[in-house]
Amino acid sequence: MKKYISLIKASMTEGMNLFRISTKNKNTFTKFFLPIFLVLMLMGTVYFYSDLLMKELSKVNMEFVLITLFIIFTSIMTLVEGIYKSGNLLFNCKDDNLLLSLPIRRGTVLLIRVFKFYIFELLYNSVFLLPAMIVYAQYTKPSFIYYIVSLVGLLVFPIIPILVASILGTFITFVASKFKGKNFVQTIITVIFLLVILYFSYNLQNFINDIAQNASSINDLITKLYYPAGAFVELILKFNIIKLLEFILVNMVLFVLTILLMSKLYFNINSSSKSIKISKIKKDYKIKTSTPMGALIKKEFSRFINSPVFVTNAGFGLVLFILGTVLLAVKFDSFADMIIQKESTMDLDYIKSCMPVLLFGFICFTSFMTSITSSMISLEGKSFSILKSLPIKPYTIIESKVLTAVIVMIPCILLGDIIVFIRFQFDLFSIILTLLISILLPLIAETLGIIVNLKYPRMDAKNDTEVVKQSMSSSISVFIGMAIIGITIVLLYNALKANISNNTIMLAFLNIYTIIYLVLVLFLHKTCEKSFDNINV
Amino acid sequence: MIEIKNVTKKYGSNIALKNVSFKVNDGEIFAFIGHNGAGKTTLIKAIVGIHKFDEGDIIINGKSIKDNPISCKKEMAFVPDNPELYDQMKAIDFINFICDIYEIPQNIREKNIKKYAKMFEIEDKLNDTIESFSHGMKQKIALISALAHDPKILIMDEPFVGLDPKAVFDVKEIMNEMIKEGKTIFFSTHILDVAEKLCSRVAIIKKGELVKVGNMQEIKGDKSLETVFLDLEEM
Repeated sequence: MKKYISLIKASMTEGMNLFRISTKNKNTFTKFFLPIFLVLMLMGTVYFYSDLLMKELSKVNMEFVLITLFIIFTSIMTLVEGIYKSGNLLFNCKDDNLLLSLPIRRGTVLLIRVFKFYIFELLYNSVFLLPAMIVYAQYTKPSFIYYIVSLVGLLVFPIIPILVASILGTFITFVASKFKGKNFVQTIITVIFLLVILYFSYNLQNFINDIAQNASSINDLITKLYYPAGAFVELILKFNIIKLLEFILVNMVLFVLTILLMSKLYFNINSSSKSIKISKIKKDYKIKTSTPMGALIKKEFSRFINSPVFVTNAGFGLVLFILGTVLLAVKFDSFADMIIQKESTMDLDYIKSCMPVLLFGFICFTSFMTSITSSMISLEGKSFSILKSLPIKPYTIIESKVLTAVIVMIPCILLGDIIVFIRFQFDLFSIILTLLISILLPLIAETLGIIVNLKYPRMDAKNDTEVVKQSMSSSISVFIGMAIIGITIVLLYNALKANISNNTIMLAFLNIYTIIYLVLVLFLHKTCEKSFDNINV
Repeated sequence: MIEIKNVTKKYGSNIALKNVSFKVNDGEIFAFIGHNGAGKTTLIKAIVGIHKFDEGDIIINGKSIKDNPISCKKEMAFVPDNPELYDQMKAIDFINFICDIYEIPQNIREKNIKKYAKMFEIEDKLNDTIESFSHGMKQKIALISALAHDPKILIMDEPFVGLDPKAVFDVKEIMNEMIKEGKTIFFSTHILDVAEKLCSRVAIIKKGELVKVGNMQEIKGDKSLETVFLDLEEM
């Protein structure tokens, strides 16, 4: 038992230190206060929205719906992210050689990795679930049993999503390992899985209707939709110790069974995921010349497309943007009907006239949620010393990273723009403003991302997932992005309400964002060299 | 020429290099030896501009690495002890990448890449991704990319680790060829026999302080370099 505790302890201190950064300047503010402040800010925002929702729900005595919504939301989030994270977290890690050479069962290595995955999701889910649970307690004034059940719930909720994600991640890794370009295949299969989930989410309404017809109560409906949510709601509404034990046991048994089953295949899949298929046909190598900037961008692209978790994380938002604009173009009338039904003051022409601003909001959301550069320094890992030893200015290296990211983003955003332009026939001025915004916002998001990553690099990660999804840099970038999106959307909403014209709103934002971009570039110019030097590898 | 002038490097309260000074002249092979953790890699990384240092200066062919890092780096090539290359790249793409950064014309890079790839018997592997390579093969790729741009100064950290005997022989040949052209070679090693046979001068570092520096003959006298090194370790 002692050795298992030691293993888990070593594994946790290595991989779970979210505050770990690889720079010389590790002052308390950088290391603790800023991330804690950002987490608290996010929790505060969740609390604020939970409270808003609860005000409405409490009027119809359906407070428990809030908890249900948050459980389902965090579970879907864990599942979706888990699908592309798990392959990387469970297989082909840098500590494979060490762990697999130790006198422990291979299944134990899998258990430790799934456990690490669980702990991370537990922390992440808590950021969203805790504020909702607090709001529920404030409105319903429950007995102390609620707090015990909530604690159990917090611990149990991530289990099913991570198990499903691990199974799917293992399947994707297994299939991809059979191909020569396994990273590319892994990315493609992952994206297909995510699109399938998206398709089902889109058609969820029909599915829910079917279940609703066969459900005897709302609670029965929730249970039929998602067992942990239904069981939890049942426990907080009408506590029963047997039901609590059943709730814990079902999840525990599922966990143990899944680990046992997966451990049978784990070693083989892990070994084949490492094997590199080399083409037997030897072609002559080509010696090509590029400019230093061209060479740096090529190198960044090669890193990007060879990391399934990196591509999926960045690309999924962009694919969603394009799909969203297609959907908006095709199904606009039904969306507009939905809005008109809720807001009788609006008509079809008014909603159409707001499209430039709505598209702007969508571009803002996509840009700030697609922070590619916030992982780019950390993904260099130990090879960062190659860049440091090269005769090239740090700023040029940084510039190449930002350029690579915007080369990925801007074409996708422009494609979405064109679909909307054609469908809604924007006037020339709106088109120009939208195009400028479509270039400027990704530039700001990516410049911000690289500044954050220079400040919070993580150069010793065991795999790409630790950098892309579980590092301080990527988390801070997401939090800052969320704040910018929130502020922009609130301002846009108020500007529309005040009947300010689309073009005036966009022009004003364009000016503000241009100033922000210039400030960021100046800041990067001033600090980049020092930050670059401070990174230890 | 490399001039190390009173270089001090601290990691917090820990002094990694303490007032280190010596010169490496043109046309000489200079070995830098010391036990594990003595400060060899720290000094090498400071010379090639990877690590900053707290005091002193390092002059590369008359220019300070502190003030002119880019022009200093253009004169040098660095082969690290543990070649952490870009694993996802094909070997040829990695070598091309380094040549692009050094802005090496097509004809020169073509001549050098072909020459060294043939010498290290790795020509048929250049189209493979680096992740499929062993440590020794990665080391060969690091060497080819360092040599492809004809550096005036070659700096290597434990260059022989992981190389097969034929490649070790080839590297020694390349080093001898380079000093005939008046170039400078500075490398760290634990293989004292190689240092003894190959180098004109040597420096020994212990706990961040330089304990001996000079001609091989001056340093070892009648003893072997190994004996001198072990004697110094016991002091």
